[in-house]
Amino acid sequence: MASFAVLLFAMVSILILVANFRLNYAVSATSDAYDTFSSQMVEKNGIAQAVKESILAVGETAITNSTKSLQQEIQNRISSMALPAGVSVSIDSSTPVPTLPPNPFFPTGTPASGTQPGYFSPAGPIPALAGMGGLFTSLSVLGPVADLGTVTVAFDRTNSASPQDNQTYVVNATLLSVPLTNVDVVAYGLPITRSIPEGPPSVPPGFFGPDVSCLVTTSNNPANDPTAYPDLFASSGGEKLPYEYRNAVSYSWNAYEYLWSPTYQDALIGSAATASAIYNFSSPPDPSDPIPGVTPNGNSVTVDLSAVTGSILAIVDPTGIGSVTITGNSASGPPLVLLVRNTAGVPTPVTFTGNSNRPIIFYFVNANVQFGGDPQIEGALFLDPNTTASGNVTWFGHFSFYGPNSPLGTLGITMSDSPAVRNALAPLAPHVLLVSTTATR
Amino acid sequence: MKPVSSELAAGCRGGSVRYGPEAIRQPSPAEGRFSTAGFSIIEALACLVISALVMGALTYGMSGLYSQQTHPTVVYNGNVYTQAPSFDDFGQAISLHSAFSNAVDAADNVIVLGGTRSHPVFDPTGPSSALAENFIDTGLAAAAGGDGFKAFSSWDQRQINSGQFAPYLTTNPDPADFTILTVQGLSQITSITQQRRYSAAINGQNLEMYEVTHQTIDWSSGSPVLTTNAVTGTTPTYFYRFYYVATEDIWSMPPGVTHYWYRTDTSWDRDQEGPARVVFADPYSLSGQDSGSPLSPVSRFVYFLSQLR
Repeated sequence: MASFAVLLFAMVSILILVANFRLNYAVSATSDAYDTFSSQMVEKNGIAQAVKESILAVGETAITNSTKSLQQEIQNRISSMALPAGVSVSIDSSTPVPTLPPNPFFPTGTPASGTQPGYFSPAGPIPALAGMGGLFTSLSVLGPVADLGTVTVAFDRTNSASPQDNQTYVVNATLLSVPLTNVDVVAYGLPITRSIPEGPPSVPPGFFGPDVSCLVTTSNNPANDPTAYPDLFASSGGEKLPYEYRNAVSYSWNAYEYLWSPTYQDALIGSAATASAIYNFSSPPDPSDPIPGVTPNGNSVTVDLSAVTGSILAIVDPTGIGSVTITGNSASGPPLVLLVRNTAGVPTPVTFTGNSNRPIIFYFVNANVQFGGDPQIEGALFLDPNTTASGNVTWFGHFSFYGPNSPLGTLGITMSDSPAVRNALAPLAPHVLLVSTTATR
Repeated sequence: MKPVSSELAAGCRGGSVRYGPEAIRQPSPAEGRFSTAGFSIIEALACLVISALVMGALTYGMSGLYSQQTHPTVVYNGNVYTQAPSFDDFGQAISLHSAFSNAVDAADNVIVLGGTRSHPVFDPTGPSSALAENFIDTGLAAAAGGDGFKAFSSWDQRQINSGQFAPYLTTNPDPADFTILTVQGLSQITSITQQRRYSAAINGQNLEMYEVTHQTIDWSSGSPVLTTNAVTGTTPTYFYRFYYVATEDIWSMPPGVTHYWYRTDTSWDRDQEGPARVVFADPYSLSGQDSGSPLSPVSRFVYFLSQLR
């Protein structure tokens, strides 16, 4: 009887042990499978990010771009990724990496026609934006954007220790060309040539009108920016912005580096020269061959916005001797770019004397802008880091200024959102390349 | 019957056999019984005790192992909760978190309600309100077509959709409670994930019960469809429910949500929330069962979840 009891006990014990082993094995196997799932989720998104950065390295609206091919850029980033032992990721050789489509915009090219994108339905060539990320879509839905197409890159992911975990990751990159004027107010930074705004510029009451969009990208260091919290700030080493800010940096820092660079400014001058629409205070044009809308008077010129023809007018003051008066235009007209560029000496005084309903992009380089009589003006007002502004104005459209040197202390400006102005300015505005990448497996 | 001669020769029937004058002395049966080496009574008793102890220990051990196969359950609010560690719930947790991860991966925005520091100024300590479990809305009407710049945080989303959320905001929320909405295109809710912790005394024991549910909303047809559970055929799509004895609900990283912030800037409308740390209850971690251990366990379902993606 005792022997039978022991035998029965042993059998039950063995059954329990086997069941327990199977349970623990199942837990282990399930955990491993979930870990693999989670790991590959991170992996594919990391590769998608590498593709996005590679595209931006080659084609971002920035002061410098890589001369390498997109495939080389991707390969360089992928090869520097730290992957688990036995895991390797490479570009799928059967699907060659396409070349990056150009992002043309005025004056060196003609941007693709812009369309207001939709979240859930394609808008012309632009696919539905839902699923591309709020950080991308928030900058893409503010106005018309141009579609630059899709770049698809496939990757082979192999695991020598576990071939069943081999995967093919496919990264789809959506490329949009977004006019810089789509955001109503930008307090920009110049991280390479100047500096970034450490904190947000003070804003006078009434500055932001209804529905005005704004963008400023400041330091995350609470010691610099009183609005920042130390929650996620790493004080050791140099400050690094979290990746959530990538699109905002493209838009409010890197694009402005390009905008104020000699490359773009000279392109504007070149375009104006080609159109015979350039007035140089140091070498005025022959009075017998006047520029439409420009009336010189000694070292002063008056620009009648209603009389300017063409799409660009440049007024150049290489030695700081001139002054400009801009008279308004109550009637709307075709869009125009007006550049006042002072490269040395005293900032060129520029005085606005009336309302203007013509959609005009004003670029002021080293100028002293004054608004008399609180005019109402439609267009885009770009002030370079050295430009100052004063007076009162109601502005419909876009306004951007150098964040670390805000003019808002002397300039009483009320910003109003205007979709009509935004649409009208888009063909002549600088465009920012925005990229959204999604990876599937 | 008389013995045959051969039997007599062999000494059968009790006859003694002698081989010459120096024959070896054979002990009598009674003499041999008491003089052979063996267990004493004490030894035998000790043997019995030890055997009983060993068997008892083995039985206890086996019952412990067996208890991992079948668990006690309690019923609370009409739902069955299994005592942790529970492999059945672990399997369901894996399915739930796989679906949750995919929903987060495809989302444009993630709204995390509940937990601590939901706003560093207006609600720095929490616990903040989650949405009631009967919240099953599939759209966020107020934010449709809105400006993403003005929705950098879950707090902003709560404000923007205050009319919609207000009837569902929980009162006296537990620190472990939270609601996570994954959203596409600012308006389409693609999943609703809830965690609740209930404290109750059941059968004389104080229990901490965790309920985690995930409702997938399928928009592939253009209209919202609530995906049902493959087994039950009802909503929610995935769920797991389990409990700990209250004294064992000890964690180095407690279940619940901690919000982290980059900044709040009223002038430039920048309520910029960083990734929130979301800790789900883990049905196969032993929680604080070993009170003497210097290390408390950590759930394997921990996320550092960016709100804006």
